[in-house]
Amino acid sequence: MSTLLEVRNLKTHFHTRDGVVKAVDGVNFSLEAGQTLAVVGESGSGKSVTALSIMRLIPESTGVIGADSDILFKGESILSMDDVSMRSIRGDRIAMIFQDPMTSLNPVYRVGRQVGESLVLHKGLKKKEADERAVELLDMVGIPHARERARDYPHQFSGGMRQRAMIAMALACDPDILIADEPTTALDVTIQAQILELMIALQERTGTAIIMITHDLGVVADMANDVMVMYAGKQVEYGTAEDVFYRPLHPYTWGLLESLPRHDVSDKGVLVPITGQPPSLINVPDGCAFHPRCPYAKEICHTTVPSLESIEDGHSSACLFSQDPSFRRDEVSPSGEVA
Amino acid sequence: MLKYLIRRVLQMIPVFLGVTMLLFVLRAPGVLPGDPVRMITGERAISDTLRAQIVEEYGLDRSLPEQYAIYLGNLMKGDLGQSFQKSRPVVDILADKFPNTVRLALAAIVIEIIMGITAGIISAVKQYSLADVLTTLSTSILVAIPVFWLGMMLQLLFGILLKRWTGGAFYLPISGMESYQFPAWAHMILPAITLASVSTAYVARIMRSQMLEALGQDYIRTAEAKGLSRRAVIWRHAMKNAMIPVVTFIGIDLGVMMAGAILTETIFNWPGVGLEIFHAIGQRDWPVLMGGVIFIVFAVMIVNLLVDLSYAVLDPRIRYGGAAE
Repeated sequence: MSTLLEVRNLKTHFHTRDGVVKAVDGVNFSLEAGQTLAVVGESGSGKSVTALSIMRLIPESTGVIGADSDILFKGESILSMDDVSMRSIRGDRIAMIFQDPMTSLNPVYRVGRQVGESLVLHKGLKKKEADERAVELLDMVGIPHARERARDYPHQFSGGMRQRAMIAMALACDPDILIADEPTTALDVTIQAQILELMIALQERTGTAIIMITHDLGVVADMANDVMVMYAGKQVEYGTAEDVFYRPLHPYTWGLLESLPRHDVSDKGVLVPITGQPPSLINVPDGCAFHPRCPYAKEICHTTVPSLESIEDGHSSACLFSQDPSFRRDEVSPSGEVA
Repeated sequence: MLKYLIRRVLQMIPVFLGVTMLLFVLRAPGVLPGDPVRMITGERAISDTLRAQIVEEYGLDRSLPEQYAIYLGNLMKGDLGQSFQKSRPVVDILADKFPNTVRLALAAIVIEIIMGITAGIISAVKQYSLADVLTTLSTSILVAIPVFWLGMMLQLLFGILLKRWTGGAFYLPISGMESYQFPAWAHMILPAITLASVSTAYVARIMRSQMLEALGQDYIRTAEAKGLSRRAVIWRHAMKNAMIPVVTFIGIDLGVMMAGAILTETIFNWPGVGLEIFHAIGQRDWPVLMGGVIFIVFAVMIVNLLVDLSYAVLDPRIRYGGAAE
């Protein structure tokens, strides 16, 4: 397998009136062809900004990507590309779908036209050919009567159908990487499952690598190869899905897993929330950013910033105590059901 | 759709009756000063027989409701009565003046569209730039300037102060009068600018705010994520959404202008419907005034209807008379 995407020391900061927001602060990961990486964390942990940095869609007026940061796509630096080359990658080789399908489609154009638009742009298709291909794509993502529905406007589609259309749009040019930014968050639970199943099925068919951004660990249990847990703009844990779900190392990951509803234990089981609020990204707490909310925090956590250390093969954690074999929570288990 | 259209046309009837009735009440003896017979004959002394004849001819001896009924009856036949002053059918007078009003209105609308929309787009796309600041400033000033004052200042500037550079002769393209030196269209420039001024400023402001709103929408990010250029994102994806309210405004404005711009036409002596109405007011020429106002009401109502119908074309979410599915 070849490395498709490599993110090195990504730092994306926003300069606002209130100060510098360190939305992403030193993130490293790589993505192999055909693999799925889940990026998990609360709102404001830097997941979406990481994705937008890869797409180079960070607003230029306020957002700054660090000079020592780099993003390599097939070995070529995305960050040093000129705009024209970047546009030829965006939507063609790396595509993205967004959280809210209700507002992510343009209300004044027919769905089919929007799905086919990138084919006209990147593949040089005529409008008519693109319309034809759009019908096939809509059919592929499970829109019934695709030929007629392609002529509908977005408001005539339900939320689930719109997200299907967004997926069709993103996959139109058969991209190497699909970035899905919370694609199911705005949908109700049954539709969520359908959309996830669709994405898994399409990935098997097209071999597209997926970066799945979510705050819901349950969503990624079935589909991710690797999981990256983010907190306050930094990686706190990185490993295979199995490692992170069954042998989690970081107290924040424990908290995420414990706050999931489980259907394998009795209804009386109580969900354990992570107390407190995510920190302000302008004034990140000294030491470990998670220490104010961490039930295991010691004196040293207030002063020393933990770095992401490899603990086991391919499994790393950014906690000062992760090296200690007795600092484990083996009883933590995810709710993600195997289908 | 047809049902909607019929309903809208039927709604025009009460508006129309209300306006005409109001005008008739104002005409009733004692409400406004003046003897109708005197308005017709002017200051000349007239014999009692002639007076009786005029009263008979214009039906002035009948009761007001009766006169109103007769007026409406004639109106249905397309007869707006005779002008007191000109002894011509009002319909003919308005038909004479209307093409001039249309010409001026179209010229003003063209200015409004080109200047207003361009300025709005530039200041939205380059928000907080110098161009944006200048647009915001100049639109604020334009909105605040009274039309008649702007018209007179333009006349002063181009007709008198810059006389040496603009032609030297007395006849300058500042009025509706034909001159020896300028082609006919040149006479339209200053009145059209004057008529368009306030609306152009509004168009620029509406366009700016709509464009900014559209550019902040999620579907713009989707379009960018497709790899479209900034230009394509703005023109294809933001523009059509941002245009909807602008088209409404321009449409309604066109309706108002079609009905005659009383201030602009008076200042530039432009022989349109507006100037005719202005004269009719001064001369108490009731039939012309009535006819002119009825004409305005019609023009505005019809254009409003057309604007509402154009929504359905621009915005697929709007479909009249029934659900989308």
